[in-house]
Amino acid sequence: MSGEEVGEAVSLLETVESQTQDVTKLVDHLHQKVMEGGYSTSKGISFLELKYQLLLSYLIDLTYITLQKSQGSSIQGDPAVERLVEIRTVLEKMRPIDKKLKYQVDKVVRTAASGGTDSSDPLRYRANPDNLINKLEDVSESESEGEEKKSKLYQPPKLTAMHYEGDETEQDRDQKILERAKKRALSTSMLRELREELNEGPTEIRETTSAQRSRAEKKLRERTEYEEENFMRFSVSKKDKNEMKKVAGFSSLNNLTHFDDISALTEGRTPQAGSSKKRKQSGKA
Amino acid sequence: MSEGAATIRTRKFMTNRLLCRKQMIVDVLHPGKATIPKTEVREKLAKMYKTTPDVIFCFGFRTKFGGGKTSGFGLIYDSLDFAKKFEPKYRLQRHGLLEIKKSGRKQRKERKNRQKKVRGTKKAKVGAAKKK
Repeated sequence: MSGEEVGEAVSLLETVESQTQDVTKLVDHLHQKVMEGGYSTSKGISFLELKYQLLLSYLIDLTYITLQKSQGSSIQGDPAVERLVEIRTVLEKMRPIDKKLKYQVDKVVRTAASGGTDSSDPLRYRANPDNLINKLEDVSESESEGEEKKSKLYQPPKLTAMHYEGDETEQDRDQKILERAKKRALSTSMLRELREELNEGPTEIRETTSAQRSRAEKKLRERTEYEEENFMRFSVSKKDKNEMKKVAGFSSLNNLTHFDDISALTEGRTPQAGSSKKRKQSGKA
Repeated sequence: MSEGAATIRTRKFMTNRLLCRKQMIVDVLHPGKATIPKTEVREKLAKMYKTTPDVIFCFGFRTKFGGGKTSGFGLIYDSLDFAKKFEPKYRLQRHGLLEIKKSGRKQRKERKNRQKKVRGTKKAKVGAAKKK
């Protein structure tokens, strides 16, 4: 060893000696305090205290083990190893609780570091569920007791979503009705024939069955299928009887000379309710 | 009445072993004539299926619009005992195999009103005693 290093080693050993003296003094002081009952453990020790006690004993055991190893003696079966393992498991188990306490601990540390808290600090406040109750109930109840109900108009309960028409003006409504009437007028038989006449493409010829007729036929077909399947006969209601009469009978001849109203396209106004004549349909003519 | 041009055709023929019968849909073609009565249909079916007409039950005849074609249902039982066992009472009555006693409507209503005055099992006794 060189001279420098010897000098360094001597100074270090001196510091070690002084520091051990300080430590023994501190320990004696603490020991006295504990003997006098300065630290009461009647209620058990708190979580944080336990934590640093465990860490302390962990360190002590660790240093002991390293001392043994540096001296060259084996640590096989040493009780210190078992103690280390035990302390380690307890610390691991404490970790999730520590995580839960993290917020509180951090807040306390922050207040301690910043020196006092600001009363208007928003982090101090938590949610107040009492504020969520509708306080207006009390007010409305007292009002209704005094005077009787203003309007006896029946308000139906609002169960399903309805189309909103509040912002629609009179003009908009009229315009919409006109548009719908125009669209309906475009699909009348007159305009359809006009379209066929002026159309340049090839003409299609198909057997015409009106929608009403096809509906009635489909219904009849379903019914007969069911009847034949189950060996029974249905009784026909008056409505169905009239429908079948209309389809199969001579009453449909009246519709030959009845044309739909196309004033929506020709005059640009909606068809009036009173002006269109409704024809009474007779039965079998 | 001569049967003449009436033709009978059967469709959807099925042997129902559970109810010991053969069931089918019967189509009667009778152009220019009225609907054929059920008794004649039974006799024709008996000839077709080589049985006696008393085990044959026909019902539900509906004439198509315009006339000439009628569709109905037909059941042919293996024996009359099975027929008596499985057929509903009103159809047996049509053949004369069963007698359903029917009191008149007025009598039924009066009986009901008499029963209203009594409570419990006495109701059954009340019905028997018809006051004159």
